[in-house]
Order: sequence, then C-alpha cells, then structure tokens
Amino acid sequence: MTDRHLSWLFLAPALLVLGGLTVYPALWVLWLSLQYRIPVFSIARWAGLEHYAFLAVDTRFWNAAGVTAVFTVVSVALECGLGLGVALALRGQRHWRRVALALLLLAWALPSVVTAKMFEWLYHPSGGLVNFLLGGRAINWLGDPALALPALIVADVWRTTPFVALLCYARLLTIPPELYEAGQVDGAAGWQAFARITWPLVRPILLVVLLFRTLDALRAFDLMFVLTGGGPAGSTETLTVYAYRALFQTLQVGFGAAIGVVVFALVMLVAVGYLRLINRESRTA
Amino acid sequence: MPALLLTLIAGGCGERATPGAPVTLVFKHAKILGPADPVPGLLRRFEALHPGVRVRSEALTWSSDEQHQFYAINLEGGSPPFDVMMLDVIWVPEFARAGWILDLTAFVPAAERAAHFPSALEPAVQEGKLWALPWFMNVGLLYYRTDLLAKYGFAPPEAYDELVRQVRRIRAGEGDPRLDGFLWQGKQYEGGMVNVLEALWANGARLLDDAGRPFPEPARARESLAFLRGLIESGVSPGWVTAADEELTRRPFGDGRAIFLRGWPYALDLFELPASPVRGKVGVAPLPRLPHGEVGAGSTGGAHLAVSARTRHQALAVELVRFLTSDAAQRAMTEGAALRPSRPSLYRDAALVARDPSLPALLGLMQRGRPRPITPYYLMLSTTLQPEFSAVLVGRKSPERAIRDATAQVDHLLRAIAP
Amino acid sequence: MRAGRLRDGLVLLGLALYAAPFFWQALTSLRPDAELLPLAQLWPSRLTLAHYDVVFRLSLMPRALVNSLGIALLSTLLAVGLGALAAYALARLPVCGRGLILLGMIAATAFPQIATVSPLYLMMRAFGLRDTWLALILANASFALPLVIWLLAGFIREIPLALEEAAAVDGAGRPAALRWVVLPLVAPGMASAGLLAFLFSWNEFLFAYSFTASEASRTVPVALALFPGVFEVPWGDIAAASLLASLPPILIVVAFQRYLVRGLLAGALRE
Repeated sequence: MTDRHLSWLFLAPALLVLGGLTVYPALWVLWLSLQYRIPVFSIARWAGLEHYAFLAVDTRFWNAAGVTAVFTVVSVALECGLGLGVALALRGQRHWRRVALALLLLAWALPSVVTAKMFEWLYHPSGGLVNFLLGGRAINWLGDPALALPALIVADVWRTTPFVALLCYARLLTIPPELYEAGQVDGAAGWQAFARITWPLVRPILLVVLLFRTLDALRAFDLMFVLTGGGPAGSTETLTVYAYRALFQTLQVGFGAAIGVVVFALVMLVAVGYLRLINRESRTA
Repeated sequence: MPALLLTLIAGGCGERATPGAPVTLVFKHAKILGPADPVPGLLRRFEALHPGVRVRSEALTWSSDEQHQFYAINLEGGSPPFDVMMLDVIWVPEFARAGWILDLTAFVPAAERAAHFPSALEPAVQEGKLWALPWFMNVGLLYYRTDLLAKYGFAPPEAYDELVRQVRRIRAGEGDPRLDGFLWQGKQYEGGMVNVLEALWANGARLLDDAGRPFPEPARARESLAFLRGLIESGVSPGWVTAADEELTRRPFGDGRAIFLRGWPYALDLFELPASPVRGKVGVAPLPRLPHGEVGAGSTGGAHLAVSARTRHQALAVELVRFLTSDAAQRAMTEGAALRPSRPSLYRDAALVARDPSLPALLGLMQRGRPRPITPYYLMLSTTLQPEFSAVLVGRKSPERAIRDATAQVDHLLRAIAP
Repeated sequence: MRAGRLRDGLVLLGLALYAAPFFWQALTSLRPDAELLPLAQLWPSRLTLAHYDVVFRLSLMPRALVNSLGIALLSTLLAVGLGALAAYALARLPVCGRGLILLGMIAATAFPQIATVSPLYLMMRAFGLRDTWLALILANASFALPLVIWLLAGFIREIPLALEEAAAVDGAGRPAALRWVVLPLVAPGMASAGLLAFLFSWNEFLFAYSFTASEASRTVPVALALFPGVFEVPWGDIAAASLLASLPPILIVVAFQRYLVRGLLAGALRE
C-alpha cells in the first residue's frame, strides 16, 4: 500500500462524515432558502429570492440584526478588555496557580444552559442575588426591554472572558522578564512598560482571539434563547433566535433557512475580513 | 339509521381484546386542575366496561406551547407512542390537515355530535369530516370583587371606560397601594394572544377577514391595542401583566389584591375553596366592550379529544374518546374538576346547578363567546403575531407600526400557504 | 515573599468572587423552598437535600445524564478516532489538494449551527434517526471534527520526523510507525482534543433541542431547559439539576486542567 493510498484511507472516513454532515447541509440550506417549505402541511414550492426580498424590508429582521450587532460588539469589547486585565493580574501569580485557573475556567466550561438558568435566578426580581445586593429593589432585569440586553451581555461576558484571559495569560508568560528589566533601565515603568513592551507582544494574540470571539458571538444562540427567549418584545432577539423561531415555531423551514443563510454569510464575511487584517498585521509586524 | 348501524358494526367488529392479549391504550392529557382529579376514576370505569383493556394516562407539560411542540415532534416523526390525546381546540384543524388524527365521522352518530356547543364543534369539523370530540369548554370572562363594587354602588361594568372609572374610584376610596385594578394576561404566549383578540373583538375589529387577509379594520385594531397599552401606562393595570400568564394573575386576585381579573372559568372553583380569602366575594360577568364593539366578546377555548391516526387500536381508542366525552363522564368532570362541560344540557341540570349556581350564567357567556380563527395555520399566525402585539404592550412599538409590521409578516406567511 | 503570597491570595479571592455566581447556584440548590422567594438573607437557616431528592426521583435528569454521558463519550471517540487518522494523513502523508482540504476545515469551524440545523433535522427525520443517540453522536462528532483535526495535525507536526524515519530504517512500515512511534507521543494531544470534544458535546444545546423529543435521547442541557414546573418555577430543583449538569465540566477543569489548557492554547496560538 503506497503512501498515497494510505493517505486516502486515513482521510476518507473523516471527509465522509464532514462532507455528509457539514458541507452537504451547508449547500442544502442554500437550496431550502429558495423554497416555500412547510413540511407539516406538505408545502414545498419554489420561491426564488422571495424570502430574501421579504427580509430586506422586514422590521423584525432588522431589529434582530441590530440586536446581534450590539450584542457582538459590546460583548466582545468587554470580554477582551476584561480578559486582558485578568491576564495581567494573573501574570505574576506564583502560588495556587492551578486553583486560580480552575476558578477562572469554571465559568467558561459550564454548559450555556446552566449559565442561563444561573443568571435567570440571579436576575430574579424578588429572589435574585443582584436585587438583594442592590438593597432589595425589585428591578425586573429580564422583563424590562431596556435592561434585558445589557443583562444578557453581562452573562455572556462572564462566560467568555476566561477564554480570552487564558490566551493572553499564556502569551504574557512567554514574554521574557529581561525585556521589562531593560525597559526599567530606560526609565519605563508601569503604564509605559505596558504600552511599549506588553501591548505590542500581546496584540497579535488578541487579534486572533477577537476573531474567534466575534464569530462565536455572531452565532450565539443558547444563552439568549434560554435566558430570555428573545424577549421581552424582541429586545434580545438575535438573528439566530429569529431563525430558530421561524424554523421550529412557525415551521417555515424555507424562511428559517434564509435567515440562517444570512447569518452564514455574515459570519463568513467577518471571518474573511479579520483574516485579511491579521495577515496584514503579521506582515507588518 | 345507517349511521347507527355503522356505529354498531364499527363498535362490534372493532378490537375486542382477545383473552391473553391485553391491550394498553395510552392517553395523553394535561394536568387537570381542581379539587379532585376525576380522570383516573373515569379510566378505571372504562377498563371495567372493556375487560382486557388497560388505559395508561400520561401527563403533558403545563405550558400549552410545549404541549404543542411535543405533539408536533412525535406525530410528525411517524409512530407516536400514544393513542388518545387531549388537544387544545385551536390545534384540531392543524392536526387534521397534517393527517395526524383519525377521521371520526363514521364512528360518531349525528345526535351525539349535536349534543355539544356548536362553537366547540365548529373547529373539529374540517372538510365535512369530524376529527375530534369536545371534552371541556372555556370562555374568557370578567371576574370582579362583588364586595368592593357593592361598597361603592357599582354594577359590573359593561364598557371598558366604565371599568377604568370604577377602578380609579375604588382605589382612591380604599387607599390601599397594593390593590391592583385590572389584571389580565399580557405575556408573549398564546394566552396573551387571546387577550389581544378579545380586545380587538370588543372594539368590533377582526384579526382576519373572510378571505383570510389580516386586519380588515385597522383603525379599530389600533384603538384596541392603544387601549391595552393605555391600561398599563395609566396604572389601571400593573406593569407586570406584560409578563403574566393565567396563574400569575389568578393568585393575586385570589389573595384579594385586585378588583378585576380577565380569566377562564376554572378559576372560580379555586376562588370558592374553603381557605380562599375571596370566597363568596367573586362575581362573574361578560367582558366589557370598547366604543365600536359589543359586550361579551370572550374567546372560547377548551380541549378536545382525538385519536392518533397511527394507533393500532382504532375502535377501542374511539370508544375511549366517546366514553370520556359522554354525558356521564362530563358530569363527573364538572363535579370533580374545575372544568366546564361542552354539553349545553349539563348547564341546566338540576343536580349540577345545585352544586355550582354559576352554571346558568356561564351558559350564556359560552353561547356569546367567539372562537379564535379556525384555520390549520392558526398557530403559525399566532406565533408570528405575538411578538408584534407584545412590543405594543411593553411600549416598544406604536400600535400603527405594530399592525403594519404584523400585516407584512402575515402576508409573507400567507404567500407560502396559499399561493 | 510575604507580599507575594498576599498578592497572590488577593488575586485568588478575586477569582473566587468571579466564580461566585456558580457558588450561589450551589447554595441555592441546598436552600429550603420556603426561603427562596423572596430572598431575605444570604445564608439559609438550614441546608436541605430536598431539591436533589426531587431531581433524582421525579425528574428526567437521571435519564438525561445517562444520555449525555453516552452521547458525549461516543461522539468523542468518533471524532478523535477519525480525526487522528485524518490529521496524520494531512500532517505526514502526500495528499492532493491538501491546502484546499485544510482551508475547508478552517471554514467548517466557522459554520453557524443555526444554518445547518434545518437540513440536518430533515436528514435525521428522513433516516428515522429522530430522538436517537446516533443522530446526536453524528452531529456532535461532525461539528467537533474540524477542530480536532486542526489540533492533532499541529501536534503530530511537532513530533520530529526523525523518529519515524528511524522506525522506517528499523523496518517498520507506516502503520507500525504510526502505532508505536507517533501514537504514544501524540496521546497527550489526543487527550486534549478529546476533552474539548467531550466538553462541546456535553454542553451542546441547539442540535439536542431540535433532534430529541423524549427521554429516550434527551440530553442534560435540554432536560434542564425544559425543567417542568406546574405553576411556579422550581428554582431550587433547577439549581440542583444545574449542579448535576456541571459535574463533568468541573471535573475536567479541576482534574484535567493541564490537557484542557493545552488544547485551548494550541487551537488559538497555532497560526
């Protein structure tokens, strides 16, 4: 058996699974989005670009797009800032490092449904810890359209900051202390040490993390679905939640597929844009 | 005569349990509220009448939306693990169209059909065939505190602005900050949809016209929505009604902390329990009207019993359905549970009225009640419209914009359904 | 020295506060029903195991735990098994279109689940796999595969080629070299990849919610999301169920931290 044969033998099973369960559905969803498809009533008809034409003028779609955008930008900004801060705090840690990392990574490792239920209870108007700590005011965090999205973002930032923190922390550990000592000789300390030494070395990894986190935030579903269901009144309804409701609540598979394709395209666009940016960065670095 | 013969034959050559081969029917239903659950007793009686047959009852989740999801997933998949099911009346046309339930036309004689409320039977008859039998009936009505209204010399309000005036007067007089005015269900779910529909009907507006097009009277619909939002803004209704379902509103009223409540008849039994703080102080009235509509435009509701199309024991399952919806069974349900029968004759039955004097009044309300749009696509419509209505209730959208957006969404939906 | 300990202790305290929401949920699971609503004091007057009792006896969680465990283990085995082979091929063997395949892998990690869930649902329905373990095993494995392959290919490339060449000199063919030289060295990497795949499968919600219909295949996240409550939400019971749902993740974070961290770093830092 030649190496070439062996390579195909080894690759085939994985490619088969991926092809059948990832690539094929990706193409199929495109096809579905061009149809009126309601399996329960055996409706299957060509629709062309009807769904997309409707989405272009659908206020609920644009609301969802706005919520998705705000959620993504704010959440990613906060978790990157906070993550870097945590990493800087952790950097000098010598004792109890494993315990520290365990406490940090716990938030990231928990199932998103657990996190959702946890925060739902924390935000409870009368039984929740948040209102208790605020002096017993019965603020309805998840029921007020103005407060629900910030509350959701806080929950998401809590859940994802550890990932950013870990990666920045690992990079910080690789920075040789001699650099700082040399910098101190030049009179640079504290903020300047950060700006001139730490930041340029951490920036590349932060950009990669930014990419991952942005893509994840655009695709996020579990947390908002279980925590608020997209409510109240659509104030936390992201594109993913809208797509899910169209698919499994109103049973419009064609229409739901169209929204899914939009999310798909958005994610791919952002990914390509980011990769270009990272490439440019690494070339100029 | 032929129908009767057919029934006898169908009942006769159906599956009689052969000795040594016990038949188990699975009956899925939601938890029955009330002082005593009569269903187990009824099932045992059925088993006694049909030796060799066991009926296993399985409970559904509490939420109507989740029940529907459960049914949809199981029925769509092919072989559902149940034979007889309790369906919300609004699902019957949908399940019939999807081919999930059995055609009962041949099994049920016309006289038996006619014994139920016409408005309960209407959704169960699609394309001239009978798909389910009504089990119990509901209608939306207004609960009010007889003691508070009597104290200020008020009669139950016939118009909503009268209701608002009464609330203001009573609250000013009582001076109790914890006394709420008018409680209703504004959460984003089917119950919220019902409340909005009743407000539309109260103002003479419909959801769909005869051709199935949405909002044929947009100005009146706008007024209704603005009225509901106004209730919250003016404080007549507390802000939390926008997240409240039936139980979340029944409890405060049952604890004596509200003057008016829009609810279903089951709550009355719970208000009249011995330990209830409002025992003897609750009255029932038709829902008030708005300027362009009529009094008593309550939504009818309730549950039907249907047989799964894939059941392996057709005749027995139909027998169970007919047994549970029979006069005797519904009588037992009315006595034991907080449910109201779907047979008008029982509302005038002397023994039942003696136990529950509100029955004759309820009969009138049921007969004036209106069903939600009877179409297989009702649930799709409802889930599409709920977010729009909810946005108005929490103040995120104006009624004009909500109706405009809702119309666009429904048009898009209809394009898929009816080209 | 003392200052270092003090500082480290403060950081540790800070992180403990960060994880406070979880500890609060743990406390809630032991708080008696009467003291849940409204919240009157931070520490309950007594601790109770009643919620855990309800969860074990009356809820679907025990069955869901079994489902989740089985599905996560099997999908991890599938993903790591197929992934290791594919990674070796991509890292060491001549593959025509390697660049394209690798690009495809990276792209596949960005696919949104919400887009592929509807075709997958129709597929599972067509094959009669709705409400079965197999549906979720396949879906989870396919979603984890790209990352697993990416990770393992990197780990394999780290192994000096000289080792395999030495084995070849000793007369061992490719498969033997794979088994005796590469496998032992990449085993820690496989553990890392496997842990990530397991964690993903355990936590996965969207596919599980859409493909499962009953306790036959319902996983823990779905059981938790659909936790039954007749009138009021049973917060104490939900907290207890949440704690049970968190056991494997906690175990991984505490006991297998090294592998987990290595997997996370390798995935991101490998550019």
